[in-house]
Amino acid sequence: MSQFTQGLEKVLQGDYLDIILRGIKMTLELAALSWLLAMVIALSLVVIRLTNHKVAVAAVAGYVSYHRNIPTLVQLMLWYFGISSLFPYELQMWLVDQNAEFIFAAIALGLCQAAYFSEDIRSGMRAISSGQTEAARALGFGYLRSMRYIILPQGIRNALPSLINHTILLFKNTSLAMAIGVVELTYATREVENYTFLTFQSYLVCTLVYLFFSLLLMFCGAIFAKKLNKVYAR
Amino acid sequence: MIIFSKVNKWYGEYQALVDVNAEVKKGEVVVVCGPSGSGKSTLIRTVNRLEDIQGGQILYNGHDVYGVDSNLNTLRSRVGFVFQNFNLFPHMSVLDNITLAPTKLKGLNASYVKTKALELLDMVGMSHKANAYPNQLSGGQQQRVAIARALAMEPPAMLFDEPTSALDPEMVGEVLSVMKSLAKEGMTMMCVTHEMNFAREVADKVWFMDAGRILEVAEPETFFQNPTHPRAQSFISDIRA
Repeated sequence: MSQFTQGLEKVLQGDYLDIILRGIKMTLELAALSWLLAMVIALSLVVIRLTNHKVAVAAVAGYVSYHRNIPTLVQLMLWYFGISSLFPYELQMWLVDQNAEFIFAAIALGLCQAAYFSEDIRSGMRAISSGQTEAARALGFGYLRSMRYIILPQGIRNALPSLINHTILLFKNTSLAMAIGVVELTYATREVENYTFLTFQSYLVCTLVYLFFSLLLMFCGAIFAKKLNKVYAR
Repeated sequence: MIIFSKVNKWYGEYQALVDVNAEVKKGEVVVVCGPSGSGKSTLIRTVNRLEDIQGGQILYNGHDVYGVDSNLNTLRSRVGFVFQNFNLFPHMSVLDNITLAPTKLKGLNASYVKTKALELLDMVGMSHKANAYPNQLSGGQQQRVAIARALAMEPPAMLFDEPTSALDPEMVGEVLSVMKSLAKEGMTMMCVTHEMNFAREVADKVWFMDAGRILEVAEPETFFQNPTHPRAQSFISDIRA
């Protein structure tokens, strides 16, 4: 047992702690950036789909279907190794200077998660009575402004529980980015393990960190939902 | 103010409105009555194009509602419309429900709009609930707020689509009294309603509809005492029974 705790102490100090902390920072940055990207795209997808235009609906359905049915890891690889090679040479070089792994990981994770978010919001919007749209239109709000002020805010509230679930999923999925060389928490943990051979201790620390942040997200989500429901629940 | 000429509307094979010709004059209160499915709600909803028509013309305040040059959203913002189910926005406070359209659509100054909204709430007897949310209000209170919301855009006319049909009997009175005071102030109103007492007391004209046609246009006194059309006669004798 004392051997175990000694190992744990070793992992949690000096250079090793530094590696882990930098990994945590990278994980959080990646999660935040791809979440933001996912939400912006998801909202656009929802608005496009609700136009009920044949082509628009088909395009969104195709987007969602691709991102939900291909493994996220493959999507990451495709962006980093595949799609990036189609870019002009200067752009490729520039991206390498800008930390290309991180950028492509954020794009791939964000695009993928947008598919889930958009479905969450869409189902949240289906729970809104058609009278809400009518009331908005009758006041003179056009399509986009009815969406912005009346329909989307309600849809997001309805979708909140599943959005929180998928946010946690996105947070955990950042670990996949190690496959294209993003030094996030999982990658950092493996490095520490390689240096120290303290396999159990390294991954235990990693596990607890993921658990901590996931629970924190859940907790914040629950508080947020409760606050909204106080005034809004029917 | 609102002129229907030769208005026709179909739902597929079914003709919902048949050659409707009628006029709501400025300052007039018109009550549209008739049996269920007679096209009353359809008719009132054509004025702000919640329903489209397939033939004829509707003029609202001098504008051709279905004219190619009419801007739909601008037109709608000038028609006050009150729904059967209130349709307040549940994620906003009472005050925000009222100020939303004037601030976002007219770009009016927020504090000016708020002052005006509070005046309107006072008028409908709801100023004590300005910061409440719709789900904290009774049906009658919600409908009064909905009326204030429609009035906030300062429409030249107000349309009411069965405003009391979703209310408990004891809440009907509070909504009707707001509508009465509006009528007294000279607001042009078109109301679809089953409240015959309201029609008797407040209406300048009663339009009786059946099967998509306006069968009788009369002053309430005449309509309730001596309806001329046989269908109106049987309607009156039925509601008396």
